[in-house]
Amino acid sequence: MGRAGGKVLGMALVLAAGSARGAGADGPLRTVLWGEAAAEVGAAPETDPDLWLTTADLARVTGFVLKPQGVCRDDVCVPLPKKREREFLRRRSKGTLFNLSAFARLLKQPVAHDEPLSVWYFGERPEQRGDRPTSVQAPDFALPDREGRTHSLSDFRGKKVLLVTWASW
Amino acid sequence: MSVAEDTGGVKDAGPWIEAAKSAYTVLVDETHLVTRLYGMVNVPTAVWINEQGRIVRPNEVAFVDDRFKPFHGLEAESYLAAIRDWVEKGERSAFAKSEAELRERFLPRDPNHVLADAEFALAEYLFRTGHLPEAIPHFKEAQRLNPDSWNYKRQAWALSDAQRDYGTTFGEEVKKLNGRPYYAPRTLPSEEEKRD
Repeated sequence: MGRAGGKVLGMALVLAAGSARGAGADGPLRTVLWGEAAAEVGAAPETDPDLWLTTADLARVTGFVLKPQGVCRDDVCVPLPKKREREFLRRRSKGTLFNLSAFARLLKQPVAHDEPLSVWYFGERPEQRGDRPTSVQAPDFALPDREGRTHSLSDFRGKKVLLVTWASW
Repeated sequence: MSVAEDTGGVKDAGPWIEAAKSAYTVLVDETHLVTRLYGMVNVPTAVWINEQGRIVRPNEVAFVDDRFKPFHGLEAESYLAAIRDWVEKGERSAFAKSEAELRERFLPRDPNHVLADAEFALAEYLFRTGHLPEAIPHFKEAQRLNPDSWNYKRQAWALSDAQRDYGTTFGEEVKKLNGRPYYAPRTLPSEEEKRD
């Protein structure tokens, strides 16, 4: 799925609007946190605890596009499990809806949801966090320094790295 | 490379970075990305990574001196000596783990801990966007799902009034350890063990 061991970006999230929750015609707008970016999508089209998106929102938020061979981004496609299409797709008169929560479960991405504020957070896949028996590679990441310049762990290939975490608390 | 696991970002970590004036790269991790990717539960935690980007020693407590030794009982000099040995000898160092050793020790992350990561990340977003009251239940859920994570406890407590919002303090929680170690024990092989 994507480049093996693809870098995870730790940039500051694009912030959604402040305390006032915008409302669509049918309810509050929803915020989706995917891949370290925050995007607002339309109100829930279905009464369902899962996150259903229009295909337009799906593409905008995740870069995934529905194709006959599966759910695709760049040149990688994830086929949907046979006979389980209804878990992921609902055909409505206005267009097809996609269940991003079910897709995240398929990819083993953890999901957290704040119902009062309509915010969904989608976490990293196992291969992105080195959570595989064969993964001995240090998960790559990109973060800013004090001055806001971005550095990646992979910038230091060719050198030994002592990676130390600390905190002001 | 050092990374500040600080939800408060440059505002909280900045003064320390300025005071340290280090020659090496210091990064600010306001979404606890490194904590999540590496499954870290405490600070200071270090990982050794070789020239090919492979882990050589996974998560380990990493104090540079003995200022907190009365609290945790770990000696800094033996760890620093191990680092120097690795810098000098590379994969021939007794302290460098092989790929085989790492694979042998691999344990998939506890699914509850993975969910804890998501709850904490959501809580951080809500905090950063001015929704502290809504963030607190998610911080608590992260703490519940991964009770081993001192990062998730201490960072959350630091963002508001711990006693008021979480009903406890760092001091109280440490007392509850009742003699159990605060940091996971560190095991450095002696040079003798691997001389052959």
